[in-house]
Amino acid sequence: MGFFTKLLETSRVKSPWIVHFDCGSCNGCDIEILACLTPIYDVERFGILNIGNPKHADILIVSGTVNHRNAKVLRNVYDQMPEPRAVIAIGACGTSGGIFREAYNVVGGVDKVIPVDVYVPGCPAKPEAIIDGVVLALGKLKEQRTAKDTDSLAAELHQAREFYANRADRQVVE
Amino acid sequence: MVSQMVWVSIVLPFLAAIGCLIDSKPLRSILVVGTGVAVSLASLLLVQGQAFSLNPETIFGIPADGLIAVLDFALLFVILGISYQLKNKLIAVLTVLQIIPLAFLELFLHGAENTAPSIYGDQLSMIMSLIISIIGSLICIYGLSYMEEHEHHLHVEKSRQGRFFFFMVLFLGAMNGLVFANNLLWLYFFWEVTTLCSFMLIKHDGTDIAVANATRALWMNMLGGVAFILGLVILRAKGLPLALQELISTPGVASLALLPVGLLCFAGFTKSAQVPFQSWLCGAMVAPTPVSALLHSSTMVKAGVYLVIRLAPAFAGTLFSHYVALFGAFTFLTTALLAISQSNGKKILAYSTISNLGMIIACAGINTPAAMAAAILLIVFHAISKGLMFLCVGTIEQRIGSRDIEDMRGLIRIMPRTAMIAVIGMVTMFLPPFGALLSKWMAVEASARLPLVVLMLAIGSAFTMVFWGRWLGLVMTSVMGEAQEPEEQSPLVRVPLVILAAAAIVVSFVAPGLYSAMVLPVLERFYSTDLYIAAQGVFINNIGMFAVFPIFLVMVLGVAWAARASSGKRVHQRAYSTPYVAGLQDPANPQRIGFKGPLGQWANFTTSNYYMDAWIGEGRISGWINLISSGILIILLTGVL
Amino acid sequence: MDIKSIIFVILALIFAPVAGGFLAGIDRRLTAWCQGRFGPPILQPFYDVFKLLGKDRQVVNTWQIFCAHIYLISSMLSLALFAMQSDLLMIFFVMTIGAVFMVIGALSTPSPYSQIGAQRELIQMLTYEPLLVIVFVGIYFVTGSFKISDIVAYDRPIFLILPLLYLVLTFALTIKLRKSPFDISACHHGHQEIVRGVLTEYSGPYLAILEIAHWYDIVLILAICSLFWTTSAIGMFFLLAITYLAEIVIDNITPRLTWKWMLTYVWAVGITLSLFNMALLYAKSF
Ligand code: SF4
Repeated sequence: MGFFTKLLETSRVKSPWIVHFDCGSCNGCDIEILACLTPIYDVERFGILNIGNPKHADILIVSGTVNHRNAKVLRNVYDQMPEPRAVIAIGACGTSGGIFREAYNVVGGVDKVIPVDVYVPGCPAKPEAIIDGVVLALGKLKEQRTAKDTDSLAAELHQAREFYANRADRQVVE
Repeated sequence: MVSQMVWVSIVLPFLAAIGCLIDSKPLRSILVVGTGVAVSLASLLLVQGQAFSLNPETIFGIPADGLIAVLDFALLFVILGISYQLKNKLIAVLTVLQIIPLAFLELFLHGAENTAPSIYGDQLSMIMSLIISIIGSLICIYGLSYMEEHEHHLHVEKSRQGRFFFFMVLFLGAMNGLVFANNLLWLYFFWEVTTLCSFMLIKHDGTDIAVANATRALWMNMLGGVAFILGLVILRAKGLPLALQELISTPGVASLALLPVGLLCFAGFTKSAQVPFQSWLCGAMVAPTPVSALLHSSTMVKAGVYLVIRLAPAFAGTLFSHYVALFGAFTFLTTALLAISQSNGKKILAYSTISNLGMIIACAGINTPAAMAAAILLIVFHAISKGLMFLCVGTIEQRIGSRDIEDMRGLIRIMPRTAMIAVIGMVTMFLPPFGALLSKWMAVEASARLPLVVLMLAIGSAFTMVFWGRWLGLVMTSVMGEAQEPEEQSPLVRVPLVILAAAAIVVSFVAPGLYSAMVLPVLERFYSTDLYIAAQGVFINNIGMFAVFPIFLVMVLGVAWAARASSGKRVHQRAYSTPYVAGLQDPANPQRIGFKGPLGQWANFTTSNYYMDAWIGEGRISGWINLISSGILIILLTGVL
Repeated sequence: MDIKSIIFVILALIFAPVAGGFLAGIDRRLTAWCQGRFGPPILQPFYDVFKLLGKDRQVVNTWQIFCAHIYLISSMLSLALFAMQSDLLMIFFVMTIGAVFMVIGALSTPSPYSQIGAQRELIQMLTYEPLLVIVFVGIYFVTGSFKISDIVAYDRPIFLILPLLYLVLTFALTIKLRKSPFDISACHHGHQEIVRGVLTEYSGPYLAILEIAHWYDIVLILAICSLFWTTSAIGMFFLLAITYLAEIVIDNITPRLTWKWMLTYVWAVGITLSLFNMALLYAKSF
C-alpha cells in the first residue's frame, strides 16, 4: 500500500463528516444524535462533524420512518453525496419502521429506499450506540468505495427503487 | 502625410455621413465599413509619427476660421430651431446665451489674434483618435446589423437608418476633430456637434420617453456649452490665447485664468455626466445600443474628461485642483453605489461609465504624474471594455428580449459565445491584471496623500466589485445536462465582438509598452518627477510597483490549468449532480428546481440578487447625491472667482 | 529577481498551507476548550482536506471547478508576490481575483443556499476591502511607500505609530477568517447554517482546494499583520499570537450579526478609528 493510499485511508477514518436527515422521527432519536455533539460526548474528538450538507458529508444518518412523501427527499439527499459514503439508520423507526410500521403512509425502514450500512437500534438510540454506529460505518468508508464500485451498487439500488416504485401506487396523500 | 491623415479622420466622416442619407442599404454598408477602415488606418498611421501641429488657412478654399465661425452659428440656430420645435424655453435660453457671447467674441473681441496652430496632435490626441476611429468604427459596423433587427423589432415601416448612420458617422468626424483641435473655437464647434449628434441619436426611436430624455440631455449639455463659451470670452478678454497648448503653457496661468479654466472644466463635467448631471446619461440609455456604446460610454462622454485632462497642468497645485479631485471621487463613489441598486443591465453600465469618468476626473484633480497616467490609461481600457459590454448587452437583448440582468440568469446556456465574451468584458473591467484595474491601482496610490479622496476611491472600488461580481455569477448560472443550443449570429455582430474582446485582453497585456510609447511623452512635457517607469512589463515608481507581465503570465497559466481541469472531457458524466435544494427536486426531472407544496402543487424556487432598493434605491438617494455634488460644484466654481 | 527571493517564494508556497492548517487545528482545539470540550487533534484540518481530496468529484457545472482553481491560483500568487516583497496594494488586488471567483462559482449554481451565501460573501468583501485599502494607505503615510521591501526596512515598529489602524486590520482579519461576529456567508463552526452558504455547492476535491486557498489567505493576512512589527522577531511573534488568540476569544463570545449591522458597524468604527489615528499622526508631527 502506497503512502498516499494509506494517508487517504487514515484521513477518511479520522474525518467522518455527517449529515443528519430526519425522515419523520418523533424527535427522540434526533435529540440523541445532537447530544453526541455536547461536551459530554464531544464527537469532534474523532473529527466527526455534523455538517448539514450532503455534498460535503461522508455519512448519512437517518432517523425515523420513511413515508411516501419524504422517500424522494431521502433519495435525493443520498444521491447528492459523493462516494465514498455510508448510511446509518437510527432507532427502531429507521431500521424497520418501528411503531409506525403499519401506518397507511409509511414505506418502512430506511433500507427500503437506500442501501443501509449500519443499523443502530433503540427507541431512542443512545448516544453511545450512535457513536458506535459511526465507528462501524468508518470501516465501510475505509473500503474506499468510489464511483468505480458504484456499478455493483447500482443493482442494489435498483432493487430498492423497484420496491419503492411498487409501493408508490399506494400513495394516499400527495 | 500627417495633414492628409488628419483630413481623412475629420473630414471624410462628414462627407460619408451625407452619403449615408441616401436610402440604399448596400451603399450605406459600404460607406460605413469603408469610412471605418479609412479612419482606422489613418489613426494607425498617425500613431507612427511624432506630435504635430497644423494650421490650415483654408478648407476647400474658404478661410478656415471663418468657416468654423459660420458653421458654429448655423449649428446654434439649428439647436434654437429644435428648442422651438420642442417648445422648450430652457434650451432656447441656453442657446441664446451661447449665441450672444459667441457673436460678441467673434465681432468685438479681437484682442490677441490667434497665431497658434489650429490643429495639434500629440500622443494623447492620438490615443483618443485611435479609440474613436477603431472602437467607434467597430461599433458602427455592429450597428449595421443591429439596426436591421431593431427596426424589424419595432415594426418600423419606413427605415430611418439613413438618419441614424448620418449622425453616427458624422459623430466620428466631429469627435476626431475635437481631439485634434487646438484652437478652442474649433474645439467648441466640434463639442457642439457632438451634443447635437447625441440629442438626435437619443431621440432616434421617437417615443415619448426618448424625446423627454433627449431633451434633458440637450439642456444639460447646453449648460456646459454656455460655460464653455463664457470661458472663451473671458480668456479672450484677458488677452490670453484661445489655443489649448498655448494656454496651458502660459506661465502663471493658474492665477491668471483660473476662472475660464474652471468654466471649461464645468463644461467637461456636464459632458461627462458627472453628478449632479448623471441623469442625462442614464436617460440616454433609451437610445439604440450602438449609440450607448459609441457616444455614451466609449467616446463622446470621454470628451469631457479629455478636456479636463488637457487643462489639468493649467491648474496644478491649486486648491481648485483638490476640489476637482474630491468632486470626481464623489462621483465615482455615488454612481458606483447607484449601480448596485440597479437590475437594468444598460443602467448598470451607464452608472459604471459615469463612475469611471469620475475616477478619471479625480485623477486629473490629483494632478500628479501617476494620477495622470492612470487617467489616460483608464480612458483607453474603459473605452474598450465598456464598448464591448454595451455591444454584448445589445446582442443579448435582441435575443432574450430583456436587458434586465435577472433575465440573463443562465445566459451561458442560451448564448454560450456572447456570454463568454460578456464575461471577458466584465472581468477586464474590474479584475487584475487587466488595464482598468491597473489604472485604478495607480489612482489609489496617487491619491494616497489625500485622505478623503482615497477613502472614496477605496469604498467606490469595493462597490464596483459587488455589481460586476454578481452579474458575472448570474450569467454563468447553469446546471449541467441541459442542452446547449448552438448560437447563430451575423458576422457583422460577431466580428466586432470578438475583436473588442481580444483587444480588451491584448491591450491590457501591452499596457507597459503602451504607457512608455504613448503616455509617457505626454506626461514628460509637464511633469518631471515621480513618473512611472515601465520596464520589463513592470510599472515602478518611487512608492509602488505593479508587475503586469508576471501576473499575466501566472494567471494565463492558471486559467489554462483551471480550464483543463474543468473541461467537459475531464469531468465524467457521473460527476454531474443536481444543485442542493434540501432534497426537494422533482424526481422525474431533477434539473427542475422547486418543490411540491400542499395539494401536490408544484412551486418553483426563484432566487434573485439583492438590490438593497430600500436603502440605496435611485429615488431614495439621488436627491442627496445631487444636493451634495451641487454643493461641491458651487464651492468649486465660487473658489475660482 | 535573484536566487534568494526565488527560494523564499518557493518556501512560502510550500509552508504557507502547512502553517495555515496547523493554525486552523490549534484554532479548533482552543475553541473546543473554550466550550468545555476536548476538541479534535491538531492535525484534524489536514485529515479533512486529504479526505476531501480523495472523494469522488461531484459538480453542478464545470464553472465551479474553474472558479475553485482560480481561487487557489490567485491566493498562491498573492502570497508569492508578498514573499517577493512587492507592492501591498497590488497584492490586495490580486487577492480579490480569487475572492470574486469563489463568489462567481457559488452564484453559478441555482441552489438558493449558495446564492444567498454568495450575496452575503459579496457584502463581506464589500465590508473589508475599503478597510484594507485604508490600512495600506496608513502604512504608506508612515513609511512613504507601498512596497513591502521599503516597509520592512522602516526602523520603528509601525504598530506603535498606527495602533488604531492595526485594530481596523483585525476587522478585516476577522471577516477573512470567517469568524463571529462576521461569519455571515459561511461559518467555520456552525456548519449547518444556510447549509454552509457560499461553500454549499463545492464538494469533495473542490472544497479541499478552497480550503487550501483559504489557508493561503489566512497566512497572507497574518503576514500583512506582521508588517506592523518588523523590527524584532519576538515582537512580531507576540503581536501575531495575541491577535490570533483575541480572534478566537472574540469568535467564541460574540453572536453573529446581520449584514446591515456588519456593514454599518465595521465601516463606521473602522473609518473613525483610521481617521483618528491619522489625526494623531498629524498632531504628533507638529
Ligand atoms: S425510534 Fe423511537 S425515539 Fe427514535 S424516532 Fe422512532 S419512535 Fe422516536
